[in-house]
Amino acid sequence: MNAGMGLKLSHLQSMLLFALLISIAFGFLSRRQPIERVKYIVWSLLLFLLIGVGIGWAMYPFSR
Amino acid sequence: MADETIAPRAPGQDSTRETTAPGTPLQDSRRETMAYIIGVAGWLVPGLGHALMKMWSRATMCFLTVGTLVILGAGMRGNLFSSRGNDAFDALGYLADLGTGTFYLLARALETGGADVSHAGGDYGTRFLATAGVLNLLSALHAYEAARGRKA
Repeated sequence: MNAGMGLKLSHLQSMLLFALLISIAFGFLSRRQPIERVKYIVWSLLLFLLIGVGIGWAMYPFSR
Repeated sequence: MADETIAPRAPGQDSTRETTAPGTPLQDSRRETMAYIIGVAGWLVPGLGHALMKMWSRATMCFLTVGTLVILGAGMRGNLFSSRGNDAFDALGYLADLGTGTFYLLARALETGGADVSHAGGDYGTRFLATAGVLNLLSALHAYEAARGRKA
């Protein structure tokens, strides 16, 4: 991988990747059983996205 | 993936039990020393602390998530802080980046073009790198606590 070129990701792609990776790590660290891990990962991912998009819209009135 | 904490363990490998059983002072001291070693190993190489305790799935996921965050962060040309920072935020960023252990050197090697935070991607990359460090510190702390016999 040539990092010197710079990896191009959109805002949404960056947020999705970030949320997914952190959710997976949290799920594996905080739960033992596979089914519990999956539930935790999905729930955490949804909250990450919901709160991220929510904060984005909350900042919208100040963007202009 | 099978959960590693369910597998039966030998008497000397009971570091993942739910509660700490009382032991002799010598055993406690030895366990504490091992816990420190496991914690430091987990910091130096993401997932190594869990791997030493045969918690394979957690070790693999820690390695992969921290590694992916570092590669993405460096690929997006995020700012990798150095020890020669100008203010407290730079120092905090350096501490966070150092949390990735040896992956800090990997990020340095990947960022041949240097950081570029003039666009949003570079700024995201900076956050990815810092998050990788903090996540690895959390993982190392988790491994340390598990090695001490706390619930993990």
